[in-house]
Amino acid sequence: MDYLLHILVMVSLYIVLASSFNLLIGYAGLFALSHAAFFGVGAYATAILAGTYGLGFPIPLIVGVLVTAVLGVVIALPALRIGGDYLVIVTLALQVIVTTVLINWTSLTGGTDGIRGIPRLEVFGVVLDSPGKFLPVAAVTAAICFAIAWRLGASPFGRALKAMRENEAAVQAVGKNVVAMKLTVFAIASGLAAVAGWLYAHYFTFVSADAFTVELTIYMLAMVIIGGTGNLLGSVVGALVLVALPELLKFVDMPPDVADKARNMLYGLLLIVMLRLRPQGLLPESASASSLQAPPERPPVATRAEGAALEGKGLARRFGGIVAVRDFDISIPPGRITGLIGPNGAGKTTAFNLLTGFLQPNEGEVTYRGRSLRGLKPHQIVRTGVARSFQDLKLFTNMTVLENVLVALPNQSGDNLWNVYFRPWKVRAEERENIGRAMAILEFVGLGDRAGDLASDLSYAEEKLLVVARLLATGAEALLFDEPLSGLAPNALAKVMPVFRRLAESGRTLCIIEHNLDVIRELCSSVVFLDEGRKLAEGTPEQLMHDPELSERYFK
Amino acid sequence: MDLLVQLLANGLVNGSHYALLALGFGLIFGTTRVVHFAYGPIYAVSAYGAWVLAAHFGAPLWVAMLGSIVTGAVLGVLSYIVVYRPFERRGSPPLVVLIASLGLFIVIENAIGVVFGTDTKVVPNPPSGILLLGPLVVTGSQMLQVGAFVVVSIALGLYLTRARMGKAVLAMTDNAEMARVIGIDTARVSIIAFAIGSAIAAVPAALILFKDGATAHMGFLAVFMAFVAVVVGGVGSLRGAVVGGLVLGVVESTGMIRISTEWQSMVAFVVLFIVLLFRPRGLFGGR
Repeated sequence: MDYLLHILVMVSLYIVLASSFNLLIGYAGLFALSHAAFFGVGAYATAILAGTYGLGFPIPLIVGVLVTAVLGVVIALPALRIGGDYLVIVTLALQVIVTTVLINWTSLTGGTDGIRGIPRLEVFGVVLDSPGKFLPVAAVTAAICFAIAWRLGASPFGRALKAMRENEAAVQAVGKNVVAMKLTVFAIASGLAAVAGWLYAHYFTFVSADAFTVELTIYMLAMVIIGGTGNLLGSVVGALVLVALPELLKFVDMPPDVADKARNMLYGLLLIVMLRLRPQGLLPESASASSLQAPPERPPVATRAEGAALEGKGLARRFGGIVAVRDFDISIPPGRITGLIGPNGAGKTTAFNLLTGFLQPNEGEVTYRGRSLRGLKPHQIVRTGVARSFQDLKLFTNMTVLENVLVALPNQSGDNLWNVYFRPWKVRAEERENIGRAMAILEFVGLGDRAGDLASDLSYAEEKLLVVARLLATGAEALLFDEPLSGLAPNALAKVMPVFRRLAESGRTLCIIEHNLDVIRELCSSVVFLDEGRKLAEGTPEQLMHDPELSERYFK
Repeated sequence: MDLLVQLLANGLVNGSHYALLALGFGLIFGTTRVVHFAYGPIYAVSAYGAWVLAAHFGAPLWVAMLGSIVTGAVLGVLSYIVVYRPFERRGSPPLVVLIASLGLFIVIENAIGVVFGTDTKVVPNPPSGILLLGPLVVTGSQMLQVGAFVVVSIALGLYLTRARMGKAVLAMTDNAEMARVIGIDTARVSIIAFAIGSAIAAVPAALILFKDGATAHMGFLAVFMAFVAVVVGGVGSLRGAVVGGLVLGVVESTGMIRISTEWQSMVAFVVLFIVLLFRPRGLFGGR
């Protein structure tokens, strides 16, 4: 009986670890291989404070969580600049460091002997000295931790995390602060892992560095993958399966150390087989429930916007010795569409990057509403009212059409975790309103009937419309589109072009990069011609197309 | 002063070891973009291959070394064909391949423990001899490590620049997409990269067996140091991998003037951190 209860305690422990790990890798797409280290630091903090210093609940728990969260933030700092394989190696290095410290800081950690005799927890005078007595505490703790992870995952913040996973540049371009998001999710995930460490130390009353190795991280990874990334219930299932299943090996007659290794081999094999047969996991990520609720009322999309001129003066940008843009002046007035044209490699996209803060100019200045945008990050520039799209669309492909738009809506109280946890009613009410606003925007561009579909299922023309909807949702009034109409067939063009015209008529400030001269003539009231990084000409489409020099070199 | 020279020499010896590890890992990573974590345990199995030949069958050490190389190459190729290739064919994202490699890592590492146990394996007749070069003391094993590094890196350099297949490997390291476009059989090149990369790792594996012995867990630190060296040197640059490995060895060793041995593994992290901070693309990385 105790044996079964012990397994349930372990399941509780691993639910905490797997669901917090899932927040990092499944939601935020941050592949950090340091979760065992976070877990270990939490366990050692408890061992030292409760064991060595004899401090009672809740100090070891609180200090353990705080110390580990700080460690999580510290390791997130390099992750702000780098991603992918680099994050893997940095977090692996953290794992090595934590192991080294745990083994070598003998006076504090007991070195290779670890720390023994950690006092057991006591609740209402009952010492929790058996799996049966410990289980309620473990289960309640797991439930609380899971609820914390769940609230986060289901909140607008969780949605933004997934969008960041899908495309980091695009989530900045709709006004999200990815730095804050990464730091927050690292702090929460590592803090939750420390809670598991607290349970571990009090349950086993013994900690030792060899329990918190990279192999343990791979074990947790297997739980997340087998359960399903991006689905927290999947992590519960994964924890259940991977804790319970190898126990069956107990019935095979093996020496215990061989059984341990056989179990690890089983995890590894299961992981590979699962990736082959069902990479999405047992419980695949599902589209959020928000798209299924009854549609609330839809406020109209603003037909009067207060656009203002977006101006760049003397912009220059060099990459090493190559000058991408120089002496570039541009003034984009509101209420009209300005075209930016020029041959490939002329610097058009670089100009967009300079205007929207994705690149800082070496010289010159960008101003909007008379305010300099110098030094502002892309997401801050979106909030001041200037937003851009990307030539390669950068949609959040594994999210629904509605979610793509919802992510982009500005000033969401649910982006702030204080509101998520302590004012959930406010977040919920606002979310209903936001769904209405998002639906209105989708209907405005003509995608109202595709709201619940995945962005990856859209046709090319619909994808382009979704780009417009997402940009519109940011609330920015100066919208810069990088080739929003390229590659569209004539009948699709006829559907998409009126959207731009209506946006300009509403008073917004529009600029598009475009190659198709018919489209330019149709939409743009003025055109800027860029070649080799400098402005060659500027005027109405007619003027430019009749310019003898330009028609010689460009329009044939 | 003598101490510093000695530490520098030791650093170059360890650096040679890391450089070889980084060369093999970097070749595989640069060519196929697979973050091959199982590289570590396969390196360990190669050492055990040499140990079986030397300790069980009494083979001379050079035969044991050959056995190590064959073991490594075969396992490397198998891991590509059996595990990674199917994911590549399906177009799985790189992260999925990376996770699979972690799965393979844990499978092989524990398999070693099941088959060979967890004690340290040593060969009965390790290379001996000590060389005194002025104030310097260098052991025979250390000479072998440096010699192996020089021979292997020159041989690899010649192969990559002279041989037809070697040039194809180099082309794929540079730009896999372009290599495919100009008609290079990328699957075959990948197999060759795995074979050569794993064979290269088997050389330091056998040498470390002769010198210190082999353990089931020796693979993790090996692949970790190789990965760090490759990132420090610059992903995609084999010259960078070599320099990265040497830098790690020298900094680690000379750092002992100030810090004690048990904190040595922190040094790699510090180097990694500084390089990522100031040269995120590594010492030899392009844009």
